[in-house]
Amino acid sequence: MNGAQYLLPDGLRLGAAREALAAQTGLLEDGSRSRVERVFYDTFDGRLHAAGLALVQTDGRLSLMGIDAYGERASAPFDRAPERLLARDLPAGRLRDQLAPLLDVRALTPIARTRSQLLGLRMLNGDDKTVVRLVCESCTAQGPGRGLTKLHSRVHVLPVRGYEAAAERLKEQLEKKVGLVRAPAPLHDEAVAIAGGIPGGLPPTLDLPLRPTQRADAAAVQVLQRLLSTIEVNLPGTLGDVDTEFLHDLRVAVRRTRALQRELRGVFAPEPLARFRAGFRWLQEITGPTRDLDVYLLDFDRFREVLPGSLGGDLDPLAEVLTDERKRAQRKMARALCSDRAATLLADWSAYLEELVQSPVDDRPDARTPIGELAGDRIQKVYRQMLKRGRAVEQASPAEALHDLRKQGKELRYLLEFFAVLYPDDVVRPMVKRLKSLQDVLGSFQDSEVQAGMLLAHREAVGARENGAAALMAMGLLVDRLERDQLAARAEFGKCFASFAASRQRELVEATFG
Amino acid sequence: MTQVLATYNIKGGVGKTSAAVNLAYLAARENNNVLLWDLDPQGASTFLFRVKPKVKGGGRKLVRGKSEVEALIKGTDHERLDLLPADFSYRHMDLALDSTKNPTRRLAKLLKPLAGDYDYVFLDCPPSISLVSESVFEAADALLVPLVPATLSSRTYDQLRRVVAENGDGPSLLAFFSMFDRRKRLHREVMDELWEGNGSVLQAGIPAAADVERMGVRRDAVAAFAPRSRAAKAYEELWREVRESL
Repeated sequence: MNGAQYLLPDGLRLGAAREALAAQTGLLEDGSRSRVERVFYDTFDGRLHAAGLALVQTDGRLSLMGIDAYGERASAPFDRAPERLLARDLPAGRLRDQLAPLLDVRALTPIARTRSQLLGLRMLNGDDKTVVRLVCESCTAQGPGRGLTKLHSRVHVLPVRGYEAAAERLKEQLEKKVGLVRAPAPLHDEAVAIAGGIPGGLPPTLDLPLRPTQRADAAAVQVLQRLLSTIEVNLPGTLGDVDTEFLHDLRVAVRRTRALQRELRGVFAPEPLARFRAGFRWLQEITGPTRDLDVYLLDFDRFREVLPGSLGGDLDPLAEVLTDERKRAQRKMARALCSDRAATLLADWSAYLEELVQSPVDDRPDARTPIGELAGDRIQKVYRQMLKRGRAVEQASPAEALHDLRKQGKELRYLLEFFAVLYPDDVVRPMVKRLKSLQDVLGSFQDSEVQAGMLLAHREAVGARENGAAALMAMGLLVDRLERDQLAARAEFGKCFASFAASRQRELVEATFG
Repeated sequence: MTQVLATYNIKGGVGKTSAAVNLAYLAARENNNVLLWDLDPQGASTFLFRVKPKVKGGGRKLVRGKSEVEALIKGTDHERLDLLPADFSYRHMDLALDSTKNPTRRLAKLLKPLAGDYDYVFLDCPPSISLVSESVFEAADALLVPLVPATLSSRTYDQLRRVVAENGDGPSLLAFFSMFDRRKRLHREVMDELWEGNGSVLQAGIPAAADVERMGVRRDAVAAFAPRSRAAKAYEELWREVRESL
């Protein structure tokens, strides 16, 4: 249903607004006057906003509404407004059913707090039936320092199901007869902005306006600054352990930074580059154990599912061991991320990027090369190296051969993503797709190996727990299953690699990036 | 999960519509999303909610799955309470059902796409035993059966129990006394007899009350226009007991 929000003229009190609306449109007050305090929630990346939804805690309930008006989709009793809510924290029922697929592993956190006075109005038809509901609202929103800012008062038009035409007619009257203007943004967005947030969350990381003729160092700085900002915005959520995606996104940004440092090494001076590469490698290392444990725990339900019958429950001691271990890993990681070393690294990197384009180019041979040329050259080289490595893989090759190919695949994927805008979409997109299929198979191969290794490494700790013996039996079955999965992935590899290395693909790479 | 509750009795004029309208209203007042489908061609609940008794394309198209059920739903004056209106063509619903592949499963199938939208669906059924009622038995989780405490009500109720039992995995039966007057000896006797002899008659019931009759004039649920009245309290009690029995 299409709701709408209209701004009321500045300084107009709700009572006066009602009289003005009633005189022009024949609306009736429905007697409901109320004061409400609301806490709005969304995920860090604005998933609800992107779906046109707002989640509000008010008056002992948690309600999922349309963002453009107050049409409620689902609600449940909820008398707290916690700082973090995961799907599993929501009361079972329709609200959780609707939110869980949107949230996945992301947490909801408060993004705005408002206090409002509301006045309900309605429009009746000839049978005295309500055909449109309206709510006049006068609202203040809380800023980052808890100070209150008054928002534009507004009227929400809420169509009644099956009577949408009446709402459309009323909207026309409000615009043409009463002279109201549509609110440029929903109240929700204004309140989020006042709280210091960005309505809808941050823009996508790699959506940069690069040009092929741009100096390579300038283009690199653009991408790297965006990656640095991704690291920085995900740091508080990682430290606060809000949800697993903060750490994941932080690590992806670190990995992408390292890929670019490596692939475009000629745009940086060797000495500072070596220092920064070591610094980012350290960042990657200190965040690794927590992420690995996150992955095991996120995958845990799948572990349980693959076991026959009721054996899934036997894995509880393993889940306990991993959860305890994760707590320790998180604490250790948080200490490292809060250290002077981490702060200095990020501050120095930021300052270095800021000055890079102005710095001498004597020891930066690729600095002035057009980025279209340099990136194309790198994409082509990495692609060729992958072909060579992939062709050398045989049935008897060690697992490392596939791991190395996967690492290089990530490098190629990042290059294609960073610089996609420089090349024809109809070349980049199918190439990324083929690469992704190959990476999925390689990923599945490596995951099986890593997970089997994890299970074997935890035998002692799990065995020492209550019911440890049954858990060890179940873990044995899992290792067996993972080994089979790994064999299946290996069998799949040949097909995916053939498509990635097909002559048509090779020609396209030569023609586009050569 | 959506609960489908049908107010049903073979006899007419026993308080089915009043129960459907008031219980649906009370369910919505508790923040549930509720749909009431007025299956009775007389359209009494449709009238009470001030909606036109008209379904685009008529009952036949609806039953045959040619109309989108969602598009036919109307919001009522009460938030979270929607209505699928009656249509005079529902009087031929038996025939329409008969022309479909699985007539007794038809209503359940039509309600399926709405499962994610509503916590409760109330079916206000016409008085009869027919293909429509069989289809209702298939769709409903529980039948809410108003019983007027007269000498024949016990017999009628037994008949209904047999019919539902024949359907095997049918709905649960939740009978309640309706339009009773405790001052009347006959009512007291019949009620006591049925309570004693039959565990499935609920303790809560709806007495004969002027406020219930006034629904036709006020065109609303008693619990909405006279929330403190004896009748409103009785529906609240009934709703509590029904909810707990589900």
